[in-house]
Amino acid sequence: MIFLMEERIKIEYDALVIGAGIAGGEAALNLANTGYKVLLVEKDHSLGGKMILLSKVFPTLDCAACITTPKVSEIARHKNITIFTESEVTHVSKRGQNNFTAEITKKPRYVHVADCTACQLCEKACPVNVTDEYQYGLIGRKAAFIPFSIANPKAAVIDIENCTLCGACERVCPTHCIDFTMETELYELKMKTVILATGFRLFDPLEIPRYGYGQYKNVITSMQMEREIAPTRPYNTILRPGDGKVPDKIAYVLCTGSRDNTVGNPICSQICCMYSIKQAQLLMGALPMADVTIYYINIRSFGKGFEEFYQQAKGMGVNFIKGKIGKITEKENGNLILRYEDISSGVVSEAEHDMVVLSVGVQSNPAVSNIFDAGSLKLDFHRFVAQKDLMGSPSKTSIDGVFVAGTASGPMDIPDSILSAGSASSEAISYLSQPQQQ
Amino acid sequence: MKERIGVYVCHCGGNISDYVDVEKVCRAVENEDGVVLARTTLFACSDSNQNEMINDIKEHNLDGVIVASCSPKLHLATFRNVTERGELNKYTYVHANIREQASWAHSDDKTGATEKAIHLVKAAIAKSRYAEPLYPYWFEAEKTIAVIGGGIAGMKATASLADKNSNVVLIEKESRLGGHTAEWGSLAMTDEKGYELTERIAGDIRNRENIFILTGAEVISTKGSIGNFEIRIRKKPQKEGDPSEIMVMKIGSIVVATGYDHYSPKDGEYGFGNSDWVITLPEFKKLVDSSTGKILEYRGMRISNVVYIYCVGSRQANGGNSYCSRYCCTSAIHTAIEAKKKFNGIVNIHLNRGIRTYGKQELLYAESLQMGDLYLQFNEESLPKIFVKKQKMVIAVKDILSAGKELEVEADLVVLVTGMVPRSDRSVGSMLKLPKGRDGFYNEVHMKLRPVETVIDGVTIAGTCQGPKNISESVNSALSAATKSYSLISKGTLETEPIIAKIDQENCSWCSKCLNACPFDAISKEAVHNREVAIVNASVCKGCGMCTPVCPVDAIDLTGYSSKEMMSMIDVLV
Repeated sequence: MIFLMEERIKIEYDALVIGAGIAGGEAALNLANTGYKVLLVEKDHSLGGKMILLSKVFPTLDCAACITTPKVSEIARHKNITIFTESEVTHVSKRGQNNFTAEITKKPRYVHVADCTACQLCEKACPVNVTDEYQYGLIGRKAAFIPFSIANPKAAVIDIENCTLCGACERVCPTHCIDFTMETELYELKMKTVILATGFRLFDPLEIPRYGYGQYKNVITSMQMEREIAPTRPYNTILRPGDGKVPDKIAYVLCTGSRDNTVGNPICSQICCMYSIKQAQLLMGALPMADVTIYYINIRSFGKGFEEFYQQAKGMGVNFIKGKIGKITEKENGNLILRYEDISSGVVSEAEHDMVVLSVGVQSNPAVSNIFDAGSLKLDFHRFVAQKDLMGSPSKTSIDGVFVAGTASGPMDIPDSILSAGSASSEAISYLSQPQQQ
Repeated sequence: MKERIGVYVCHCGGNISDYVDVEKVCRAVENEDGVVLARTTLFACSDSNQNEMINDIKEHNLDGVIVASCSPKLHLATFRNVTERGELNKYTYVHANIREQASWAHSDDKTGATEKAIHLVKAAIAKSRYAEPLYPYWFEAEKTIAVIGGGIAGMKATASLADKNSNVVLIEKESRLGGHTAEWGSLAMTDEKGYELTERIAGDIRNRENIFILTGAEVISTKGSIGNFEIRIRKKPQKEGDPSEIMVMKIGSIVVATGYDHYSPKDGEYGFGNSDWVITLPEFKKLVDSSTGKILEYRGMRISNVVYIYCVGSRQANGGNSYCSRYCCTSAIHTAIEAKKKFNGIVNIHLNRGIRTYGKQELLYAESLQMGDLYLQFNEESLPKIFVKKQKMVIAVKDILSAGKELEVEADLVVLVTGMVPRSDRSVGSMLKLPKGRDGFYNEVHMKLRPVETVIDGVTIAGTCQGPKNISESVNSALSAATKSYSLISKGTLETEPIIAKIDQENCSWCSKCLNACPFDAISKEAVHNREVAIVNASVCKGCGMCTPVCPVDAIDLTGYSSKEMMSMIDVLV
């Protein structure tokens, strides 16, 4: 480990924003556009969080990449924003009003980003194949790789866990930007306020064995389907992973891991109804002959334009069946039998589909609480960051001067995340504007 | 005349290239006069491509840049900035829209879509050849911000702006602050009282040096634009008979927080107006909150069976309001729980269309189920019917939760779970020319990423005037709007688009046609060398072009869209 004395560690930042997804990015931009110096810390290799990986967004059907990339680009080149990728905030301590110190660990990327042209020669040369996490396991990638085509920064990364240190990438790199001598860097930086935008985790459907995820190849998660229909999609068409067949009878299982006490998550994830309806509409467009059925408990199309979007999906011929899926079994040909209580007839029924999409929900990302001094950052029942004054100041946390933005405080969709980020940055600016106590 | 033009044709990841042959477009334009470089790109807007464009500008010494991609509404500003970072005048950048105007519009005709895209790009090249550098105007912005509406959203926006050391004028039509929230008792999720919450926030904004609160006041007219609005306010007199007071204020930016109206059921809708025992949710909330004792009484009668009918005024398939009002499921369930906890013998029966207690609010639904509330569900095709049987109110419902059985429930009181509708008084929106959506609420610039900004620069929308929201969501929206308004004008100077009308004073003979055509009052008459001619106020002109075609002597040109540029585009297209 090395300790660097360089320009960016001499600066005292006004705000630390943890997490560079759409909420963290929006909060950072609001602060930066108002003239404050922001340090934006992201643990992943790219800015943009989950939104940059989506296909289209509901209910406008805007292409997610088209509206995320310019935002991300604005963040990346803003003169008031300093960005640390592959970095984690390991500890934050509050020394007083407007006085925080953060310890940050920046992992080595083994590539000098400024010199990398993303020519992908290293990708071609690398002999190691591993699962591509940015395509949610649908295809593979190399150990020397560009995270995804619209990643920011767009530069190679060496996955050192899987790298065999064969040196093939180093030999082909035309700009000599690959550097295996890079080491973990530790920083201790000062700032006046902190915004938590650490986002959410997707529910892991392995926790519900009766749905057969991980066992039946044609049962996928909604995020995998999101990748299959995204512009930067892995197969360039929609295929079921089991045998590469184009599916023609697709089922959606709503509330996978939400509103379900058996997995310890009684709350509603707020986004799954709508993203499933959106995917159904996109599938109807991409596969005009396919049947799409959504199995639901309640359809929650509550936001602006959402109910109309739901009605539109019905009009397009998406089947909506009220009934919770009890169990999924696999046939020899890879098709799946869904057993469910059909509410409209009141009896238990079965239906055959050739592909099943589990609409996985939103889970908290409680790791954030550990970075503050013991117990000072309160979490709620579901391990989301607790909102101290939900009605009056929704972004205030239990620590004065620390604010929460986006899904770190609970499930929400993109516009609500943007509003929440606006709220957090507003509170942060107000906090920074307070007369300083000596 | 531009002689070194670079053209970028965007795949838009497939949004364009699935229907338009982008390679063919590229080849078709690469030999056009003045074009020195033409290439395709997966996402023109991505950071890596932006950097490539900047390198190209320098390396190939480009003097004009064209991107053929999506609507300029989305990315004109993005690529102007790229051009500027490449050290060219950003107003020489020309945009061609081959997504909305070619690939999406003609997804059934790939050859036609490609042909059209080629034409659009060639027209852009024609414009680019004549594009002149333009320079923005700078002017001093007023730093006071006006917040219109003193409900929870308006008050929070005011507080947050004052915290940032802005001067704020809060204008409320009613004689008191607090809006609808001040009428609520116990609130869902926190159990704080609505009036306590609004009083807490009102306390925060009263008696502050930089906040000027006007209650009983209405905005009666607005003019000007971002940085320089002038608003006229009429304040009701203190004593009846006194004349009302008119105030004129200079304002930099406006936060509109005019809120919503409760849906008011039509006469006879589920017996509303016919029976005294059919009331709305807001009325029931007040009843629960204000009643004391262990028995709930209404109009002298003891109430036990309370039947709630959901989605009254919301999710109406045929005409009416097609949207979901978002807050009502949670609010009705919360009130039902309150009633059951507070009074003896309450039986709650919820006739709903699928409960929407999204997020953590789901816990309230679970609590009410645990307390034994009954939920029956109907769909839009068979709405519940209400009638009187043996002097009892009875509601018949076809319950889809019991396989479509026709059930009848008796009610002592029927609560219509009414939603939110746009304010019937839309005067503020009309004055500011704010666009409304199909649902009648004010529209934001972009539903996903810019939910509080409007197409009118300097005007933001906060809270429920943009669409139904609960209190917490309204506050987030208010704080976001405050931040956007603040960051717009906090620097004190503003840049305006240099795309404005220019008058050729030699030719102008002042006929006043342009004055009448201008929607922004940017044109005035002035005497120049003893001749009356039209003058354009650069800080007010929006460059909309309405004046250009009405001029009988062709004395008006729009910078950035000069007759020369437009004619050369038309020559290519026809």
